[in-house]
Amino acid sequence: MAFEYVPAIVLLPFLSFVIALFAGKYLPKGGALAGIAATAGSLLLSIWAFLTVRSQGAYQETIYTWASGFGEQPWELTFGVLIDPLSAMMLVIVTLIATLVHVFSLGYMNDEGETGLPRYYAGLGLFTASMLGFVVADNLLMAFMFFELVGLCSYLLIGFWFREDGPPSAAKKAFLVTRFGDYFFLIGVVAVFSTFGTAAFVGAESFPVLAEEAVAGDVTVNTFGFDPTTWFTIVGLLVLGGVVGKSAQFPLHTWLPDAMEGPTPVSALIHAATMVAAGVYLVARMYGFYAVSPTALAIIAFIGGFTALFAATMGVVKREIKQVLAYSTISQYGYMMLALGAGGYVAATFHLMTHAFFKALLFLGAGSVIIAMHHNENMWDMGGLKDKMPVTYWTFLAGSLALAGIFPFSGFWSKDEVLYEALIHGLGGSPLLLGAYAMGLLAVPVTAFYTFRMVYLTFHGEPRTDTARNPEPVRWNVKFPLSVLGVLAVVAGLVNMVPVQKVLGLEGIDYLHQWLDQSFDPLTAHHYAEVSPYSSGYIGGEATTVLVGAAVSLGLALAGLLLATYLYNVAEPTEHTAKLGAIKDVLYNNYYQDEFQVWIANRTQSVASVADTFDQGVIDGVVNGVSSVSLFSGSRVRRIQTGVVTNYAALLTLGLTALLLAFGLLGGWFL
Amino acid sequence: MSAVSIVNAAAAAPLQVVLPEWTAIAPVLILALTGLLLLTIDAIWPGRNGNTTFAFVSALGSLAALTVTVWYLVAGTGQVGGSITLFSEAIVVDGMALFFTAIFTSVAALVVVASHDYLAGHENAASYYSLLMFATLGMALMAVSNSLATVFVSLEMASLPSYALVGFLKKNRGSVESSLKYFLIGALSSAVFAFGISLVYAVTGSLLLSEVAAGFDDGVAGFAGVAGIGVLMIAGGFAYKTASVPFHFWAPEAYEGAPAPISAFLSSASKAAGFVVAFRVFSTSFMPLLDATPAIDWALAFAVLAVVTMVLGNFAAATQENVKRMLAYSSIGHAGYALIGLAALTAGGPHNGDVMGAAMAHLLIYGFMNTGAFLFIAMVEYWGVGRTFEDYAGLSTKAPFASLAMAVFMFSLAGLPVFGGFFSKYALFASAVSAGFWWLAAVGAITSALSLYYYSRVVKALWIEQPNGNLDAIDSKPTGLYAAVIFAAVATVLLLPGFPIALETAEAAASALFA
Amino acid sequence: MVPAQYYLLLSAAVFCIGLFGVLTRDNALYFLMSVELMLNAANINFVAFSLFWGNLTGQTFALFVIALAAAEVAIGIGIILVLYRNFGSVSVTDAATMRW
Repeated sequence: MAFEYVPAIVLLPFLSFVIALFAGKYLPKGGALAGIAATAGSLLLSIWAFLTVRSQGAYQETIYTWASGFGEQPWELTFGVLIDPLSAMMLVIVTLIATLVHVFSLGYMNDEGETGLPRYYAGLGLFTASMLGFVVADNLLMAFMFFELVGLCSYLLIGFWFREDGPPSAAKKAFLVTRFGDYFFLIGVVAVFSTFGTAAFVGAESFPVLAEEAVAGDVTVNTFGFDPTTWFTIVGLLVLGGVVGKSAQFPLHTWLPDAMEGPTPVSALIHAATMVAAGVYLVARMYGFYAVSPTALAIIAFIGGFTALFAATMGVVKREIKQVLAYSTISQYGYMMLALGAGGYVAATFHLMTHAFFKALLFLGAGSVIIAMHHNENMWDMGGLKDKMPVTYWTFLAGSLALAGIFPFSGFWSKDEVLYEALIHGLGGSPLLLGAYAMGLLAVPVTAFYTFRMVYLTFHGEPRTDTARNPEPVRWNVKFPLSVLGVLAVVAGLVNMVPVQKVLGLEGIDYLHQWLDQSFDPLTAHHYAEVSPYSSGYIGGEATTVLVGAAVSLGLALAGLLLATYLYNVAEPTEHTAKLGAIKDVLYNNYYQDEFQVWIANRTQSVASVADTFDQGVIDGVVNGVSSVSLFSGSRVRRIQTGVVTNYAALLTLGLTALLLAFGLLGGWFL
Repeated sequence: MSAVSIVNAAAAAPLQVVLPEWTAIAPVLILALTGLLLLTIDAIWPGRNGNTTFAFVSALGSLAALTVTVWYLVAGTGQVGGSITLFSEAIVVDGMALFFTAIFTSVAALVVVASHDYLAGHENAASYYSLLMFATLGMALMAVSNSLATVFVSLEMASLPSYALVGFLKKNRGSVESSLKYFLIGALSSAVFAFGISLVYAVTGSLLLSEVAAGFDDGVAGFAGVAGIGVLMIAGGFAYKTASVPFHFWAPEAYEGAPAPISAFLSSASKAAGFVVAFRVFSTSFMPLLDATPAIDWALAFAVLAVVTMVLGNFAAATQENVKRMLAYSSIGHAGYALIGLAALTAGGPHNGDVMGAAMAHLLIYGFMNTGAFLFIAMVEYWGVGRTFEDYAGLSTKAPFASLAMAVFMFSLAGLPVFGGFFSKYALFASAVSAGFWWLAAVGAITSALSLYYYSRVVKALWIEQPNGNLDAIDSKPTGLYAAVIFAAVATVLLLPGFPIALETAEAAASALFA
Repeated sequence: MVPAQYYLLLSAAVFCIGLFGVLTRDNALYFLMSVELMLNAANINFVAFSLFWGNLTGQTFALFVIALAAAEVAIGIGIILVLYRNFGSVSVTDAATMRW
């Protein structure tokens, strides 16, 4: 029975963390082999669980009740696993990518003679374990705890090279910014508990189900005096705070580009499968709760669409290969949020999957290039690597075509479905969604442009430096992960060929739709579609809409690609950014957001201690502000106590008279 | 199922079936006899400095009263088979009365033991101890009052000795000044209180709590103004006794100027006495007014007072330099927490018993931790070290056990989850939330967070800061003070595992009032 | 027979006069006397409504109030005496060393 081994999926990487931490320095390869064995084991178990879900359906079990309350509402705080199509699929993705990242690390870390490898592999193990724990969580509190662990591990890994200047500060920034969002998440968890008395994801008494029934008026829950829909919107937005932080959505995305300071395999893991994916996964996990709140969905869609466009424009001018990829990640997760907000649960999950493959591929490809370039990441120092490293080139090209959304690579199918869902639901009477759709659509050519700008600058043309002329060769441990992911990036779209089905009138090739419908009753894609507040509208017929949408987005993507080809696929490409004029500076500086945040910080804190207090972050500033306001008001409040007893008598009389008047007049005693 | 309820179930035949009914007020009688005995001893051997004798007799008397109270509480007196009423219902003995009598007598015993050292060398020890006993007697009577007449008389019986006790150090200007302020505000408040009672009598024609409730049952249409002013004035009288805004002005001065054991006594026992009588009067007599037309929404008035009291007490405490005055303000803040027990009541609300029971349990734990904290101050005053936070620096080097106990009191008062104070606050806030008053709980939680700041300042001074050379005066170990402080600390810690029993007893006693 | 409201008006007036004295008088003895007025305002109500309701509860309670007021004055005079010894006056505003 595969489900009994589900905890082992989480525990195996944790075991590798323990081994690497305590015995890593005595082991060959600094604990890498233990990590590979553990994640590969988890991968096999995950596939087994996946197949079992396919044959036997979803599964949920409470493993351990670690606290139970007393009194009227006996709350139970539990650990449990929920294996349904969504989590089973995510398990396979996470374990697969973690395994490949471990293998790749052999080439990127061990072969390059890094020190501190046990610490590195311990961090990877714990990171993977936390993410897997998050994925299998069957209640919001457990999810929150692992969510926090994921954040902690990202801090440890981004700051891996802690002796340099950049990484520790980037790690701190990632930690603080995501923590800022997590405060809202925490309040949201408490709100869910006090509203529903439970935080379970599944079951007749789970909070999404209760929320749905409360909105329908079938049950009453404590909504603190608000209308149920309003209150659920507030709670949903609180939880969304954590999502926005972790999934690097506007305005809490600023940590992610800085996080490139970490080792490249870690970036791959963060971007493709773990940390950033956690946010979107959380929304999908509790999608039934968001589905009852049209406002929350609209906000999610808008944040998503805006982030997709906004981040894509910043990716256009970056010089470092990893920076381009970082902004593309933010942008792609924006698409997923757009899909979730637009009622496209399956579309979002689909894009989450395809993105995991092609983004992991691109990062590992970039890592391979960086090895070859002796850790120079500037694309203007590369060029012409195509012939020197063919495996990297072809796989990277596959990933790029997927990212740009070119037919028939995987990214095309998933991005097209995201935009399609936004379009039809927008046409169906939600004009706001059309705005989000427009932003998503505009981001398509920009994405294609920066992607191929990156490809051409890195691999095409003449080598521009000596290093690029004689790149360091990479070994099997780099090429193998690239090849696996390269194949997946090409074919992963086949699991959900909805457009083909609709246009040709075929039945039964939308495997992902069918797959996600196999869950517990209220967690199916089918159910979400019924609950969601949207209706669909079409241009002409359904097939026409599919064709028009796909043609427009593919056309825009090709346009972006061709512009990049025209500008950069030449022997000696030059910077064209000057043509952007003043916009260039704005884009280079990421719309001055970091500067804006610093500016705010400076204004809110006393001038003398700017440097010091900014280092401690905005949160400490708020705390300090509150405490000094409290102390100040305290020193005012105590002045009431003048020491003269006649004043006391007067104030006492005043207080009593005020009470009498207020209650007498409001209560209507004297009528 | 806790130990208490098991015993309750076993004692199917209540104790007072075997004993005569009047024995139900035995704790009150024991306290009265102890006070009289002290006066007799002083009359037989006048002029003899009998500090030790008097302390011994008083301690014995209050412990005897405590023992009998706990025995009754366990045996189910006034709980199994309904409450026991005496003197034409003017007196009632039930679970709540016994619960609070246990608080008063424990605090009195602690204070008596601590006073033995504090009073060494003073004259008039007999009057001190007898006043203390009579004040305790007044509080015990407040707990069993079932008529507005006995409420008023017993409240004065508790207040009058307190005025004298606060001014006991006749040559100390601070003591005299605080006594004057306490007395003047007290006299004003009792006049307001008496006028309030007279208005309620005017509307209902009776002073017995049950008959007052019956008089209000048909609503107050036409008399709402008279009844409303009367009810709010009575609330004012209780606000004075519990040191709640806007009747709190005496408290910071009285607690700061009084001899520290008396501050402990007043801020713990006297406050609890104000609450027990307020709980009984409002839950028995005035519940019908909450949903009458026009409504006299005294619960909302208490909610307003609770919020203002929590905020004012904690904010003012945060900026004090004098530790004793800081504790005085924190004691006002705690009155605000306990007021939630009245503020969160609703007409026929299913959570009324829980809310009031949680407030009672908080007052029990508060009785120990706050008494202990003030007795620690008494010890420092005894050594003559000084009163500010700076003076307390490094005390742990000289008196580690007492400093450890003080740290326990401070963290428990702040509500850190390792001591009894956490559970009582948690139960209080949780019950307020389940009764629908989440905003009261929110204010409580926020002010508790602030309180951690100033409580931890004491711990920091004691344990982290370096002594600044004023500790050489510490040359003796006052045994009685030490014993009292350590005992209070042990009780505070033991009430962590023992809290469910205390809470269950309190909620059972409170629910009986709403049955 | 005098209507009941008139008694209420009378007692309220006496209460307010007492309160006025409490708020304006500096001398502690006047303060005490004003409080006595306020207590007697309550007594007026008790006695008047005792008649109105036809029971003796109010009258009895008025006697209690008078007795307690006497006890209160006894304590008060004692405190005012030590106040005079320590501060050299019986003004309630002189004793104002403790504040904030």
